[in-house]
Amino acid sequence: MKSLKLLSAAVLGIAISAPAFAAGYPEKPVTVVVPFPAGGASDTTARVTTQKMQESLGQPIVVENKPGANGSLGAGQVAKAKADGYTLIVGSIGVYAINPVLYKSLPYDPTKDFDLLTVAVRTPNVLVANPNFPANNVKELVEHLKKNPEKVTFASSGAGSSDHLTAALFWQKTGTTGVHVPYKGGAPAITDLIGGHADVSFQNLGAVSNHIKAGKLKLLAVTAEKRNPTFSDAPTMKEAGVEGVEVYSWQAVAAPKGLPADVKSKLEQSLISALNSPDVKGKFNDIGFEVVANTSGQFSDFLNQEISRWKTVVETGKITADQ
Amino acid sequence: METISNLWLGLETALTFWNLTYCMTGVLLGTAIGVLPGLGPTATIAMLLPVTFGLPPVSALIMLAGIYYGAQYGGSTTAILVNLPGESSSVVTALDGYQMARQGKAGKALATAAIGSFFAGTVATVLLAVFAPPLADLALQFGPAEYFSLMVLGLVASVVLAHGSLLHAFGMIILGLILGLIGTDVNSGTTRYTFGFPQIADGINFVVVAMGVFGLGEIIGNLENEATRTAVLKSVTGLMPTREDLKRIAAPILRGTILGSMLGILPGGGAMLASFAAYTLEKKVSRTPEQFGKGAIEGVAGPESANNAGAQTSFIPMLTLGIPSNPVMALMIGAMIMQGIQPGPSVMTEQPVLFWGLIVSMWIGNLFLLVLNLPLIGLWVRMISVPYHFLYPAILVFCAIGVFSLNNATFDVYLMAIFGFLGYIFRKLDCEPAPMLLGFILGPMMEEHLRRAMLISKGDTMVFLGRPISATMLILAFILLATVLAPAVRQKREEAFQEEG
Repeated sequence: MKSLKLLSAAVLGIAISAPAFAAGYPEKPVTVVVPFPAGGASDTTARVTTQKMQESLGQPIVVENKPGANGSLGAGQVAKAKADGYTLIVGSIGVYAINPVLYKSLPYDPTKDFDLLTVAVRTPNVLVANPNFPANNVKELVEHLKKNPEKVTFASSGAGSSDHLTAALFWQKTGTTGVHVPYKGGAPAITDLIGGHADVSFQNLGAVSNHIKAGKLKLLAVTAEKRNPTFSDAPTMKEAGVEGVEVYSWQAVAAPKGLPADVKSKLEQSLISALNSPDVKGKFNDIGFEVVANTSGQFSDFLNQEISRWKTVVETGKITADQ
Repeated sequence: METISNLWLGLETALTFWNLTYCMTGVLLGTAIGVLPGLGPTATIAMLLPVTFGLPPVSALIMLAGIYYGAQYGGSTTAILVNLPGESSSVVTALDGYQMARQGKAGKALATAAIGSFFAGTVATVLLAVFAPPLADLALQFGPAEYFSLMVLGLVASVVLAHGSLLHAFGMIILGLILGLIGTDVNSGTTRYTFGFPQIADGINFVVVAMGVFGLGEIIGNLENEATRTAVLKSVTGLMPTREDLKRIAAPILRGTILGSMLGILPGGGAMLASFAAYTLEKKVSRTPEQFGKGAIEGVAGPESANNAGAQTSFIPMLTLGIPSNPVMALMIGAMIMQGIQPGPSVMTEQPVLFWGLIVSMWIGNLFLLVLNLPLIGLWVRMISVPYHFLYPAILVFCAIGVFSLNNATFDVYLMAIFGFLGYIFRKLDCEPAPMLLGFILGPMMEEHLRRAMLISKGDTMVFLGRPISATMLILAFILLATVLAPAVRQKREEAFQEEG
């Protein structure tokens, strides 16, 4: 009995000291924090991407869901984690670009606390309406909104969500008003839209594409730069006469600030090659996500643009959501 | 005719060797996590999600679905044996089931739950197969106003849950409502009563409250009082229900199934209400309502059937509309998306193998559960004869693991401890926790739907009465309230007269 204990102590000792001799990152499993519940867009992005990354990194990657407070709980924890490449975060536009302009006290600052790695995927938002809603295109919607100020209900997936801010941006750019009706997440908002309890909404294309195909929702416009190949009849906002409402929902990967250079480059390589691999690309395309896989520099520039744009929207629309 | 050929297709799919294996694995796993207090299907499915990537979509969904309804099943076992409801739906099962267990009738309670669930599962599967599309359309009729009225009805009905003082019950409901206020306000995004703790910015998780108030409170109470816990072990009579028992539970099972199937279809939290509603109904129609809360077998049969029927029919909005009715369904949708299937109305036409295979597998899974659980009852019952000083540390550990697994947060474990202490105080004060839990669940939903209805109607309160479904439910709530209050008022008046006379 005693010798067994000794033996196990010895084995344990070797196991603990082993990494000191091994070279190169990663030597142990990597944790990817998703600050939202399992099953959502950030979660899907993380799981599909990391499955491929495991092959090139040669270590298991564990996805950990730490939901709470619009993603800021998990993001705050990652910001404080050790910058050794063993803790990463996959977060949404909300985590990186909207929370910082919306909340006064946030446990992290995306521009200062993170080493930004890459924007993994993006998906255009679409303006959809209940099929019985009188307006059939953006022009008619704008006229309708002008004739009926503060009447038309805009469903969103929550106060301060990207679709809420997109609606606010749309009102500001067209000089119209509407009633914002927030829900707890996108799914109940879409349900009420189909049921005719709410009128219009900006939603991720992937979440509503089947409802559009089935005729349960009416597609008025896409908020992308180009038309969508699946719904080529639907104009972009610009084509429909509304400038400056190009909005994508995006998911990006980051790590705590201060990664060692070799770890950072290895992570970037692994991420980019995983995202660009045909099977991962195919999987994302199937669910309406477009792979971006840009460099950390491009991500950083893009983030600054996004933050300043949403800051203007929030200030102009006097949108508040104080923590 | 089409239904039969569809069901045949489903049968062919579900009965392949591998799909049967995954179905069985799912329900076994589900039963196991359901029995372990605090570990729920949401956490388990989240953990298993990556495993299902490698499986064909049908097998993956069959297994995940198996975990879900298997857990509903297993959850009632713990509720009955050790008074630990891990799911909102098993709260009411604990009320009479645990009392039955204390009287040595644990076997009977478990068998009743198993038989009721199987019957309900079978009926709900048929409903799902035949009426899924029209039922889904009915669910869409439910807007914010209808949900609000449904919640009002639920809240009024929750008063009936109490078998002691009406005042205590009201007090506990209000306490539950207040606790439900904690978290982020849906309309403005402002956090309320979080006292600077971001961990509760999304509100307190139901499981934390239930584990604390029921589980830990019970443990503390039992440790204090040697006599109550040894009473459990004294006599275990009749594992299986007698013919007379079967006669008693037939009608409650039928009523529970109908009620549960209807409420399960509603994506806005209808399934949560199923077991509460069934309990209320049973107590109302019973000739011996005073038996409820003291081990009435009908109080187990009705809610258990309703809960399982609701679990099955909650697949209807998910499969036909792509709308998740609860967190588990949201995960299933996530699983479908990762398999490259876009959930929505087209699943049924584009993926008939998946749709019908899943439906038929649910019935097979329910059969598995019955076959699995009936022989196991003897074993479960013996589990409570494990000396309490061995049992309670195990329960504590599992509660802590389960609560931690919700959000991977230790904060929730501390919170559970606080609620455990509260639960002990409630016991001392003779305040029942069940009405509080219902207030806690319904309060936030009621507020959310009320404010949304007001937003959409521009503040016109007549929406609740102007819409037929909503108005009907409000009237029902009013009648129910009147029947609850009338006897109490009459009694008071009689007492007053007596004093005067």
